[in-house]
Amino acid sequence: MTIMTTHTKAERPTPAADPAKLWLRTESGLGRKAALPLVLAGLASSLLAAGQAWFTAQMLADLLGTDGPDQPVLGAAMGFAVLALARAGLGIATEGLAFRLGADARKRLRGDALRRILGSGPGLLRSTHSAELAALVVDRIESLDGFFARWLPAASLALICPLALAALVAWFDWVAALVLLGTALLVPVGMAFSGIGAGRAAQRQFTAMTRLQTRFLDRMRGIATIVMHGRIEDEAKALKQAADELRRRTLRVMRVAFVGSAVLDCAAAFSLVLLALRAGAALAGNTLASPANAIFVLLLVPEFFAPLRSFSAAYQDQFQARDAAAALSALPALPAQEPPRSIRTVAAQGFSLVFDDVGLVWDEARGPVLSEISFRVNQGETLVVAGPSGSGKSSLIEILLGFVRPTTGRVLINGADITDLVPQALSRLTAWIGQKPVLFAGSLRENIRFARPEASDAEVEDAAQAARVSAFAASLPQGLDTQVGEGGFGLSGGQAQRVAIARAFLKNAPLLLLDEPTAHLDPATESEVLDSLRRLALGRTTILVTHSTAAQDWNQGQGGRRIDLRDGRLVDPRARGAA
Amino acid sequence: MNAMLRLLAQSRSQAPYLALGLLISLIATLSAVSLSGAAGAVFAGVSLAALPLALRLLGPARVVLRYAERMITHDALFRATADLRVWFFRCIAVRMAGGLGMQRAGDLLSRLVGDLEAQDTVYMRLMLPLAGAVILLPLLALSIGLYETTLAVLVCLLFALSAFILPAWAGRAALANGEALAQAMGGLRVGALDVATGLREARAFAAEDRMLAGVQAREAALLATQSRAAKRVAWAGAGAFIAAQAAILATLVLGRNQGAVDVGLVFIVLAAFEAVSLLPRAGAQAGTAAAAAKRVLAITDAPIKCPDPANPQTMPASSALRIEAVSFAWQPDRPPVFEDLNLDIPEGHHVALLGPSGIGKSTLAALLLRLAAPQSGRILLGGTDIAGLAASELRARIGWLSQATHLFDDTIRANLLMARPDADDETLWHALTQAQIADAVRALPDGLDTYLGEGGLRFSGGQGRRLALARALLSPARILILDEPCAGLDSETERAFLQVLAEATADRTTILIAHHLTGVERLDRIYRLSAGHAMAAAG
Repeated sequence: MTIMTTHTKAERPTPAADPAKLWLRTESGLGRKAALPLVLAGLASSLLAAGQAWFTAQMLADLLGTDGPDQPVLGAAMGFAVLALARAGLGIATEGLAFRLGADARKRLRGDALRRILGSGPGLLRSTHSAELAALVVDRIESLDGFFARWLPAASLALICPLALAALVAWFDWVAALVLLGTALLVPVGMAFSGIGAGRAAQRQFTAMTRLQTRFLDRMRGIATIVMHGRIEDEAKALKQAADELRRRTLRVMRVAFVGSAVLDCAAAFSLVLLALRAGAALAGNTLASPANAIFVLLLVPEFFAPLRSFSAAYQDQFQARDAAAALSALPALPAQEPPRSIRTVAAQGFSLVFDDVGLVWDEARGPVLSEISFRVNQGETLVVAGPSGSGKSSLIEILLGFVRPTTGRVLINGADITDLVPQALSRLTAWIGQKPVLFAGSLRENIRFARPEASDAEVEDAAQAARVSAFAASLPQGLDTQVGEGGFGLSGGQAQRVAIARAFLKNAPLLLLDEPTAHLDPATESEVLDSLRRLALGRTTILVTHSTAAQDWNQGQGGRRIDLRDGRLVDPRARGAA
Repeated sequence: MNAMLRLLAQSRSQAPYLALGLLISLIATLSAVSLSGAAGAVFAGVSLAALPLALRLLGPARVVLRYAERMITHDALFRATADLRVWFFRCIAVRMAGGLGMQRAGDLLSRLVGDLEAQDTVYMRLMLPLAGAVILLPLLALSIGLYETTLAVLVCLLFALSAFILPAWAGRAALANGEALAQAMGGLRVGALDVATGLREARAFAAEDRMLAGVQAREAALLATQSRAAKRVAWAGAGAFIAAQAAILATLVLGRNQGAVDVGLVFIVLAAFEAVSLLPRAGAQAGTAAAAAKRVLAITDAPIKCPDPANPQTMPASSALRIEAVSFAWQPDRPPVFEDLNLDIPEGHHVALLGPSGIGKSTLAALLLRLAAPQSGRILLGGTDIAGLAASELRARIGWLSQATHLFDDTIRANLLMARPDADDETLWHALTQAQIADAVRALPDGLDTYLGEGGLRFSGGQGRRLALARALLSPARILILDEPCAGLDSETERAFLQVLAEATADRTTILIAHHLTGVERLDRIYRLSAGHAMAAAG
């Protein structure tokens, strides 16, 4: 362990405030404490092995006939067998313990990563592909298993066990103990050598892994597009490149382990040859005091190096962990548990919504998506937001959903700044129907119930009825229990949209956000859906983003208002009238 | 076992590498055993002159051999895995030409990544040490049998137990759990992807805690199967350990007639058992590998829907389409989409297919592209039944803008080039102009090199649709099927596009699928689909 830290310091001097380092230090501390029983078991196993070597040496010495023929072989054999069984049992227990250790750590870290991903919300998808997030949650965390289950205990054992065994050897033959310790010193030198660039290699390997996964997932989702354009071969070639890249990167990481292991082999072979020749010479010169002791020392050589071998085998786990630390600590921190100010009750006071000079920038290079947007919507009113595609209508909805914070200005709900609301409070207030509703693989019923899991079957069916889901479900063999595929496979765009509307019915929230709810519907269906949306909107505050004329007309005669957006700005109503 | 071998056979192009790895591995194993025997002999004082030299030579040789073995076998293995991944992709592409359907992308990913990686066990941990064991067993029998017959029989039995019987037994015992493990891993991946793709839904429906609990339930299932697997592996390992210890003990107790030679035997037994000590563990892991292999084969063995005929006919020169008495239902228990559908689309004509959603407009496109085959009747391209054509050639003739067209997480340029890889910038801009999106792209700081984000996330729905439209127009196909090309566009843009459509597809057959017409389209014929038939309609 001491070797490691000096090496680390030499390689990359990072400031103490580095969150990845801090993460690693905290986790190492936690893991080391948890690994204590494992370390004790490892030490016990090492001592049992020494005992076995002792009995073996007695039997071998007896075989050579130099220690007198009256040595009771049977006793030594019994001792050997008992210790062997004890070691086997200890081995099973140790492995179970190590699994627990790794599993507990993975569970804790995965939960933490998921909470942070869910906590930071959909804005994360603008910078990170969903496949990358999934790879982080699945593979990155899995790769940490070795750090907790192997590396941390191995790092302690690599120090404790050889020292204990060397002390044991010194009891019989202090020169041999010095030889063992001397050759063992080769190990850190070799490790330091093999560790050069290992961190970067591990990082690159994971990048290559993520790249392969992202590419494959994206291509799977668009497989039809690839096939229809006759691009299978090109894509296969590109995939081959990504797979080869991963192969090379993985081999580079493995090489670190192999070099470390080769160094160990060298050290072990060197000390074995040295001790064997020394014993052989003593034997030839008839100066060997006790052959049994000499054999015992020789038999201990592999046991002496075994913990160092585990250390070297787990060496790369440590780099995986360092790399994972950087990725995990890069996730946005969880928002504070206590909301700065909680939302006042809505029902009693009515519901009002104010945009006050709101501006939004997604990407500096592409300029603002929204600027100087101000309007007010009162309880029960419907506001239609019109404008060509790309004019910022959807961004306006995303602000209201809390997916993104306005860059400038304020959005007030019942006088409270939207950024002061906890996501859950905001979500309780809003029902949303987007352009591309995400349907999960499962039945129609499950997909609708997603809006309110505690809803009764009758409530789900009422919602399905109101959104005209029942109308098309009736023609399906299993009705509402018909399974749909990921992304709503098996349903037309319009049908998927109606499932989303059913979700909104079921959710029953005071603020209704409709983002092109009828974009993919034929006129007959559109007017039906608009009818049900009108019913849904009764008594609720509604924002309807649309460029469908039918939808724009929906609140005529109800005193609803309309604003027009163009390039992220409100169009002057008088200018619109003139156009 | 069968499934694993079939996958291994898939990587036969890497056979020389794999064989080289095997050879080196065998040499390394033999050198390890002889080194150990020499070490023992030195001590027993058999020959003090020659053996120290052997020790000095074999020691370093063993280190070098082990390193070479690991590098070469791993390299060979990783090459084979990379090949398998590409093969897997090709199999999917042929079988899921129309999209993934009920298959989940995350599950396929899990098969590509996890299940193929689990195959490492087969070559690395099973085949290599098994080959070593096959060679070591007679050597062991010979070297011990020369001196101690009873001992030789006993040690060889224990060796066979460790190298063959325990692994086979552990493998069989681990099979069921291996299946559960591979499935649980896939389940966790699907769950994690659901969270990642459903972040919007999670926030909008305050479903964060529920989704977290969902993934954690899947994780718990994974950990439970992993724990069972780990226990099996640990027991198998303990079994191998006890077998080895018993053999050593037997050699120590029974081999007492030859003096120094017996000491050498102890060391040979020690090294021989070490060479196969990991096999029972590998056997237990092979249960997982076998289940994983089955999961991969379940995808790659799936029948190809509408496979190519054995001898595809040459593509007809004409692109006239004729649909004759076609009847079709997606599934026998679903109502038929078409009954006796007849339609004639001469080459170069622009026609519109109208009808409410769910009437079968997109199904017709699927039939034309041979993603599905009619139950009766036939579809003729230039007078040839498309059932007799190679699907890839047929699809090269037909460009298709579907409602589910995917925008790849790549640059605008790369997305457009998918339709026509050799197109120059001028051609790309022309298509963007026709799709009414050129101005918006030009305004981007990176222009054509702007990244679209996942599924075109960084663009609005309407902008994404127009990029897909530009890609469809770029396609050199002589027949274009545009399925609701203007869905999600504002009426102004829609009209502008439809006005240039006729010019953009001047001499190409164009099939416009829509709910309704705006009145600006220039069309040769208009059909209205209803109740499984097509009826000519007056604009």
